[in-house]
Amino acid sequence: MRLVVHNMLQCHVKGCDSNNFPLRLFDVELEIHEIEFNPQFLQSLLPKLDWNAFISTANQIGITSLPQALPEEIDEDFLKNLHRILFETHIMQGKMVCSNCSHEYPIKEGIPNMLLNEEEAEEEAEVEAEVETEAEED
Amino acid sequence: MSITPIKAFTEHDTTSLTDDKKEQKYVHDVYQAIAPHFSQTRYKPWPVVEQFLNSLDIGSIGADIGCGNGKYLGINKNIYMVGSDRSSKLIEISVSRGHEGIICDALNLPFRSECFDFVISIAVIHHFTTFERRLAAIKELFRIARPGSYILIYVWALEQSNEARRKFDKEQQDVFVPWVIPADKNNQDKKEIIYNRYYHLFKKGELDELIESTGIAQIVKTDYDKDNWYVIARKEGSENEIDKKCCDC
Ligand SMILES: C[S@@+](CC[C@H](N)C(=O)[O-])C[C@H]1O[C@@H](n2cnc3c(N)ncnc32)[C@H](O)[C@@H]1O
Ligand SMILES: [Zn+2]
Repeated sequence: MRLVVHNMLQCHVKGCDSNNFPLRLFDVELEIHEIEFNPQFLQSLLPKLDWNAFISTANQIGITSLPQALPEEIDEDFLKNLHRILFETHIMQGKMVCSNCSHEYPIKEGIPNMLLNEEEAEEEAEVEAEVETEAEED
Repeated sequence: MSITPIKAFTEHDTTSLTDDKKEQKYVHDVYQAIAPHFSQTRYKPWPVVEQFLNSLDIGSIGADIGCGNGKYLGINKNIYMVGSDRSSKLIEISVSRGHEGIICDALNLPFRSECFDFVISIAVIHHFTTFERRLAAIKELFRIARPGSYILIYVWALEQSNEARRKFDKEQQDVFVPWVIPADKNNQDKKEIIYNRYYHLFKKGELDELIESTGIAQIVKTDYDKDNWYVIARKEGSENEIDKKCCDC
C-alpha cells in the first residue's frame, strides 16, 4: 500500500464517525519500488490530498523531508520528493489504528485487510461444490 | 462441449441462511476457491469500461469496487486507481501485478466520503441477494465519489443471449450460475468441479430504478452490452460548489 492510498482510508467501524481519519501507522516495514515520474499527473493530483493527514502520517513513519504546508511555488525537486514518498514508498507490513475507537487494521504483504470481524470469513470455510462423477457429452 | 445450465436459486435449500451468510457461501467462498482459475479467464477489458477510464482527466483518483484480479487498474497510466475486493485471493493476484489492492466489503467501504474523482463497479452488484443490499451497495459507491464525478456500474442482465441462459426459465432472476473447473486429464483424482455462484439477474430498467431511488445521482447513459446492463451516473453537485459559495458571500 502506498501513502497516497492511506490518505483515502478511514475507520469504518459502526458508529465510529469522528476523529476516524487518518489511521495511525505502527510497526511498519517499508519498501521502495521505482516507477516513472510524471510531474503533470502529480501536480493535478496534489489538491486532492488531505495535506495535514499526509504530513502527520509521513512523520509517523520517519519521513520528515516535507513542508508543514503545501508550498505556493511548486518546483521539480519538490515534485520528485513527493513522487518518491507518495508513489514509490510501499507499506509492506504493519498495522493501522483508529485514533477514535482503537480498531486495528493489519497490513500484510502490502495489502491492508479492512474487513471488520463480523464480515470476516470463517477459516477454511467449506465450499459447496458438485464433483462430476461422469463426464456428460452434449 | 457440455453446457452447464443456470439453475434457480430456490432449488437449493437456502432458506435457513441469513442474507449475508448466503452471500458468504454462494459468492465469497466461491471466489476464494476459484480465484486462480477465474483470474486466468479474466484478462480482456470490456471496451466500454476501457473507454470510460481513458476519458478521465489526468491526475484523477478512482476506485474499482469488486476489482477481482485488477484487470482495469492499469488501463490508463495518467490516472490512479485503488482496487478493492472481498476476496483476499483475488486481491493478492491483483497486487502481485503491481496494482493497489484493499480487502474490504462493498457494503461498508473504508474510504473517506467524496474522496474519489470516479468510481467503477463491474459485475459486482448482482451478487447481493436482496433489493436493500443492492441499494446499500450503490449508495456506498456514491458516498465515496465526489460531487460532479462519474460512476460506472455493470450488472448481469436477465435478457441474455448466451446458450446456458436459453436453456432456462426466462423469468427467474435469482439464480445459480455454475463455475466449472475442468477435470485434469493428467491426474485421475482431479475430477471436474462445479461451483454454484449466486447471481441476481437485472431486468431492463432495474439498475436505473435503483440509481434513481438514491436521489443523489443522475443517469447520464444507460445501455446493454455483453449480456449486461450498465449505467454511467453523475453524482449531484458541482465540483466548484465551494468556489460558488465564496462568491455569494
Ligand atoms: C464477476 S467478478 C468481477 C471482477 C471484476 N470487476 C471484473 O470485471 O473482472 C465479481 C467480483 O465481485 C467481488 N465481490 C462480490 N461480492 C462482494 C462484496 N460484498 N464486496 C466486495 N467485493 C465483492 C468478488 O470477489 C469478485 O471479485
Ligand atoms: Zn474507529
